[in-house]
Amino acid sequence: MKRLFVGSSILMIFLITSAVYAGGPLEAVKINADQVLDILRDPKLKAASAKEAKKDKLRVIYGNMFDEVELSRRSLGMNWNKLNAAQRQEFVKLFEQVLEKAYADRILAYTNEKIEFLKESMVSGSMAEVRTRVVTASKEIPITYRVILKGGAWRVYDVVIENVSLVQNYRTQFNDILAKNTPEQLLEILRKKVKAQ
Amino acid sequence: MKSFSFAVLLFAFIAVGCAHAPQVASSSVSPPASPQPQPTLAASTSDEAPQKPPEATVKSPEKPANPEKGTANDDTSLDYKEEAKGEQAPAVADPIEPFNRAMFEFNDKVYFWLLKPVAQGYKAVVPEEARVSVKNFFSNLGFPIRFVSCLLQADVSCAATEVGRFTVNTVWGIGGLMDPSSGKDLNLQKQDVDLGQTLGVWGVGQGFYIVWPLVGPSSARDSIDIAGEYFLYPPSYMSEIAPWYVWPIIRSYEEVNSTSLRIGDYEALKDAAIDPYLAVRDAYVQYRWKKVMKKGTPTEELAPGGVRLER
Repeated sequence: MKRLFVGSSILMIFLITSAVYAGGPLEAVKINADQVLDILRDPKLKAASAKEAKKDKLRVIYGNMFDEVELSRRSLGMNWNKLNAAQRQEFVKLFEQVLEKAYADRILAYTNEKIEFLKESMVSGSMAEVRTRVVTASKEIPITYRVILKGGAWRVYDVVIENVSLVQNYRTQFNDILAKNTPEQLLEILRKKVKAQ
Repeated sequence: MKSFSFAVLLFAFIAVGCAHAPQVASSSVSPPASPQPQPTLAASTSDEAPQKPPEATVKSPEKPANPEKGTANDDTSLDYKEEAKGEQAPAVADPIEPFNRAMFEFNDKVYFWLLKPVAQGYKAVVPEEARVSVKNFFSNLGFPIRFVSCLLQADVSCAATEVGRFTVNTVWGIGGLMDPSSGKDLNLQKQDVDLGQTLGVWGVGQGFYIVWPLVGPSSARDSIDIAGEYFLYPPSYMSEIAPWYVWPIIRSYEEVNSTSLRIGDYEALKDAAIDPYLAVRDAYVQYRWKKVMKKGTPTEELAPGGVRLER
């Protein structure tokens, strides 16, 4: 009886500590990545006709995984402050669609890659980096997720693939466009891009 | 031919010498240039502006439907605040942008009209394992460049690792077709070094951005690798023992093979970009900057808390 008590209390400690750990940045990214893999592996969704269904599911995960406002704000940098409230909201939406159109098919095309979660490192109290590696037959691609803690949840605000930061890459482009155009014209460029794709 | 390479080398050094001058010049030039088109363009958008706000207000009611999104949405009212730029690659000067954009277009056409179709055909016939072996073979031949770069950076462990890799892979890896040294037992990883990066480690700046025809994105500093390849890459010496056209054939084959392993990467980058030229330029600058900062890459091991997932 005593042994059972000791055993169960040890078990409890493990359960509690792992529950606390589940709140970490690495765990937050991993839970979402696991869900993506589940969808890609799901035999019910194997058919080509299920592509849209898969995309719908991925969109939900994207919403939980990414902080698209933070991503948009950082991609615009100082230019974000030039947009009014309505323009900001539209920009966030359009930018999300641009990213989805560019990357959704690519994610769905993945077949036999492995994801390794290497480590998490805190940048500050509310910001962290999660290092991962995608391993394919011919190469290893380092991918770092930059995450921010808001309202108790870690969400991704930047993805660094092969040392290239997505946010910084877009910031270079938006800076150049907004040096020559107004925010409204930038939105028009994005609207056209979303329609054309 | 050697005199040509010398000229390239000389050019690279001279251009790099005035590394930061063009950068300052271009940044001070761009603000005066921007207000010019703005008034005329602003006039044209002011007509469109009244049409658009209704659309934005129609869209916003969808958002609060998802409670988590609702909280994130309030966030849009926050302004952006500049953060410390420690982790950010500096911008590159681009004084010859019109030339670079033309070369970018040219390389883009070469990729879509020639390289990609050939690589796709090749990919359809040759299994992936074989193509990876071919890649390993050419990578093994890149040993002299990496070895010299390691030495120039006075990095003994880097040089020793490269010698070990070359020996093991050439002897046990069937002339470099396989890569046993990067396996778990030996754990000798390929050193991520080159001559341009070596100059960077010495403190030389990028200079300016340049897109070479066929070679692709580079900078005044990194162009030294074109010369480096000529002197230190063994296939370059084929012209000594074989007809002149053998080297371009080998080089083209190497390119087709490596392209076959990464079809889709460039397309994805281009699709996602608002301005593909700027996207590629920035990706190049960030990639090179990080490579200099890291001084070669010790590959990371799985951390105790790390997890391995299989797809």
